[in-house]
Amino acid sequence: MIRLSEAPHGRQLRIVDIQGREGVRRRLFALGFHKDVLIEVNSQGILRGPLLIKNLTADSSVAVGRGIAHRIWVDVAPNEG
Amino acid sequence: MKADHPTIIFLGQPNCGKSTLFNAIAGHKALTSNFPGTSFKHTHSEVYIEGRLLNVVDLPGAYSLNPSEPAEKVVLSHLFQEKPDLIVNVVDASILGRSLELTLELLEVGYPMIVALNMVDLAEKKGVHISPEKLEKLLGLKVIPTVASHGRGLKELLEAAFFCLDKHCPTVAPRWSGDIEEEVGQLAEKLPAGVIIAGNPRFTAIKLLEADQTFCLEVLDEAEPELKRELDLAKKRIEEKRRAPSYEVIAAERHHLALKLCEESSRVRRGKELSWEQRVDDIIMHPILGYPIMLLIFLAFFFLIFKIGGPLEGALLGPLIHLRALLGGWLGSGLLFHLADGVIQGIGGGAAIVLPYFVPLLFFMAFLEDLGYLARAGFLLDTFMHRIGLHGKSVSPFILGFGCNVPAVLSTRILESPRDRTITSLLIPFIPCSARTTIILALVALYLGPVWALGFYFFNILLVGLIGRVLSFFFKDPSPGLILEIPSLKAPSLMTMARKTYLELKSFVKFAWPLLVGGSVILSLLQFLALDKVLNAAFSPLVVHGLGLPRPLGITLVFGFLRKELSLIMMLQALGVEYKDLLTVISREQILVFTVFVSFFIPCLSTFAILWKEAGKRTALLSVGLSITVAMTLSLLVRLIF
Repeated sequence: MIRLSEAPHGRQLRIVDIQGREGVRRRLFALGFHKDVLIEVNSQGILRGPLLIKNLTADSSVAVGRGIAHRIWVDVAPNEG
Repeated sequence: MKADHPTIIFLGQPNCGKSTLFNAIAGHKALTSNFPGTSFKHTHSEVYIEGRLLNVVDLPGAYSLNPSEPAEKVVLSHLFQEKPDLIVNVVDASILGRSLELTLELLEVGYPMIVALNMVDLAEKKGVHISPEKLEKLLGLKVIPTVASHGRGLKELLEAAFFCLDKHCPTVAPRWSGDIEEEVGQLAEKLPAGVIIAGNPRFTAIKLLEADQTFCLEVLDEAEPELKRELDLAKKRIEEKRRAPSYEVIAAERHHLALKLCEESSRVRRGKELSWEQRVDDIIMHPILGYPIMLLIFLAFFFLIFKIGGPLEGALLGPLIHLRALLGGWLGSGLLFHLADGVIQGIGGGAAIVLPYFVPLLFFMAFLEDLGYLARAGFLLDTFMHRIGLHGKSVSPFILGFGCNVPAVLSTRILESPRDRTITSLLIPFIPCSARTTIILALVALYLGPVWALGFYFFNILLVGLIGRVLSFFFKDPSPGLILEIPSLKAPSLMTMARKTYLELKSFVKFAWPLLVGGSVILSLLQFLALDKVLNAAFSPLVVHGLGLPRPLGITLVFGFLRKELSLIMMLQALGVEYKDLLTVISREQILVFTVFVSFFIPCLSTFAILWKEAGKRTALLSVGLSITVAMTLSLLVRLIF
């Protein structure tokens, strides 16, 4: 289990836990980030900027600040489909 | 206000094409955008469709019905206020799984509903084929595939809407896992008579379980202590069983149900080659390449605005000067002339100086927004915004500020946290709006050179960053950080952009123009009553000793507050010289000091009013204090350095 902020780019990741403040968690749920959802880090802003996360389950893209990504725990999925 | 004609509400998640669909059906009144959360206002339209009068409401996009988000609160309260006869739930077919989460939540409310399965073309392009028939059966609702941008499926959608209005289409609330269903059922039964029921008892019970620690729960504690106890017990039971807070459990229930519906109704054929949108996106969102591209886009953006605005301004100012001269001939130089002159200056100044730059800016901004680039710029600039204590969502209000600070302050509503809204609102008055740009161009660019003007601009942006940095020290709670949906790139439609520009413009004219005209009339009266001498004397310690400027310029400070762009005209008038002879009475250094001071010393009256209205009295006054301090410090610095 690793933090999303430290996850490798372009690999399928499975969300294990979403931590952080309630308001932020609620917003993430509403945007389709839940436990077990598959995601992928697609890009990032310059100078440790935000991460561009592709939600593979919902097929949407969301930019997430690093502070928030730091509190999302993921597993690197063993094999990619 | 239940009229005899039925009410239809359009509801959907941001970027689902809801407003485009609404526009196509209800005509020319709704805002659409590709920046999550911009169409904040709701639109009411009464329209005749196939001979029937309908009350059609377009609500802002909402990801869920969570009342702690400002935009979603609007949706929730309107939903119950309007008591719609029919909800048209617009669903983005290309992200069906997530969009259905809102559909399920709406089903819990229990109003008659149909689903517009929008952007099916985009879904097909992604390799997802959805069967509307299957989805219809699973949801127990009419599901009509549409492509709003091409007008596809609209006729069928209207037919379904009319069918449901006439025949009533009852909906069935979705069922969840047994244990949660049990808790919800129990709580719904225990709702005492005194509790306000939102929608139906079941929905009320769900929302109570989902609610956060808002005042609603505190009220409940006082009014219905018994229910509050039951609620806390139910929450605790859920939490112990599922090892997660109840709001998360319910969100997960919806998510799983939506996912199941999605899987059962669609077939996915992936693995095709990258679409052009994806390839473009990979380049413009590239961690390094993205930045020079963005710089080029914004340079082109401002270049185009000035290319269009400059000649337009010249063309509009000419007739205005003529009109003034003509008036002078007719009315002499009495009170009547000054009053009429004030009105004309007010209307004309707004039309000739602000609009030529502001309208193209709004239009290009609508273009970038609908294209989906504004959200991408927010992502790219987030790093820099973090340095000043904000995040990427503040980018769009700042860009708007270059046109006019008034709508910029208004657009801070898209920010979720009050802290971010306040800091952004305090920074916006330091962004050089088109009126101030006019002064910078006319004074600095002409008398000190274009490089100086560019430097002034650059320094100005640096200053915004610096002040932001300082401000964020005083706002202890950290910014919640960026969570911003990046919508897929779409070709913007000319019609939508024009509509959006028109609507923005209309609200600007309605708000700022009366203030502009009022300010101008006051100024005219000041002149007529020869009060300018009194004002000059009052300001002379500041103007002469503090800033080292000629005494007659005192009056221009008052003008600067009422209307920034008038400072320039007034400066010439006060000094009694022609524009080209300016250097005979005032030095280059003094011009610089004057421009710096006038640019920063106070937000103009319209900005001040909107700050007061939107951010509150404290923030508005704080903004005034802040800008006076900054202007004084900077002017003295400039004076010392040069």
